[in-house]
Amino acid sequence: MEAVISALMNDAVDPGLDLLERQNRFVSEHLRRIFVQIYRIVGNVADAQDLTQEALIKALQRQEQLKDERKAAHWLSRIATNTAIDFLRRSGRVAYCELEAAPESHDESPEEILLRSEQHDYLEDGLRLLTARERAALMMRDVEGLPAEEVALRLGCSKATVRSHIANARIKFRRYIEKRKA
Amino acid sequence: MTHPGQTILALYAGEDLGWFRRLRTERHLASCSACRAEVATFSAAREELAGMSDLPAIPWSRLAAEMKANIRLGLAAGECVRPPQSLAAFAWLSGGRGFAAFASVAALLVAGLYLQRPAPPPAPLAARQDAVLRATANGIELNQGGQTLSLLHVRAGDVTYSAGAQGSIRARYVDSDTGNVTINNVYVQ
Repeated sequence: MEAVISALMNDAVDPGLDLLERQNRFVSEHLRRIFVQIYRIVGNVADAQDLTQEALIKALQRQEQLKDERKAAHWLSRIATNTAIDFLRRSGRVAYCELEAAPESHDESPEEILLRSEQHDYLEDGLRLLTARERAALMMRDVEGLPAEEVALRLGCSKATVRSHIANARIKFRRYIEKRKA
Repeated sequence: MTHPGQTILALYAGEDLGWFRRLRTERHLASCSACRAEVATFSAAREELAGMSDLPAIPWSRLAAEMKANIRLGLAAGECVRPPQSLAAFAWLSGGRGFAAFASVAALLVAGLYLQRPAPPPAPLAARQDAVLRATANGIELNQGGQTLSLLHVRAGDVTYSAGAQGSIRARYVDSDTGNVTINNVYVQ
């Protein structure tokens, strides 16, 4: 991954490789990871698809900004996180819609799909109570299981700020669950 | 007994406290069932949220192909709207060439400023050497460069002229109609 970004930064590194080919390789290597990361923040496939494209285009257009190759993964993740957070702020909330592609799955029965969809809706309603940054921090920490340091790097803030976001998010989400179950 | 706040308990449930704060909270929890119950609800909420880690069943190949195509399209569109000349185009200006170019531009600016400087104002009319001030039968007359300016004394019967040592003429007369006394002083400067 770092080698790919390095090559993108400097044509001289791999002069035999066409720019388009390098871009394709870069996209292929990161596409799924960035899509999953964004999907967990915005909560629906259609928006995650658009935002993944947006984040990767931004990254490829700003590759000269990357000074330290070792930070390539964080750099790309931060672009993706910021893109998703900006989207949440712009839209005011996550407009969740059920996956149009879900029926194509052959592993689940219609009942299972419906049940999973309802559970997803239920959790999404709770996540809508959080701010964009609280939601992003909570998803990265409690769903992806990233350490707080990594979350801080992706959000571009301090570890203390991440803890504050996570604590606020857990308190709000717990209250939501208690209220729904009451 | 002082209970830890909700923030502390929420962080404790996710193992996000520092070792010292965690130790204190554990000691408290060992003897406080109410706070243990709070932590349990936070943990349960975290477990529910873990359900979000399941990715939806999506046709990834099709989705990935679509995204790749759109990314290529987006990059191509970005190239179309990019300014025609990037900073890299000016790389040849580095070093001695850059200095020479800078010096040339500076010289051009200095020359332009010199040529565009404001012209000195013309010398005062009266200060010229050929200015002559004199008293005539009609009034006071100033001759300069072939041009004449006259100050006529109309309805003046008896005019008294006096010349000043610093280049002036004074005319004094009585208006025949009104009887008012008029005094004119003309200076050459």
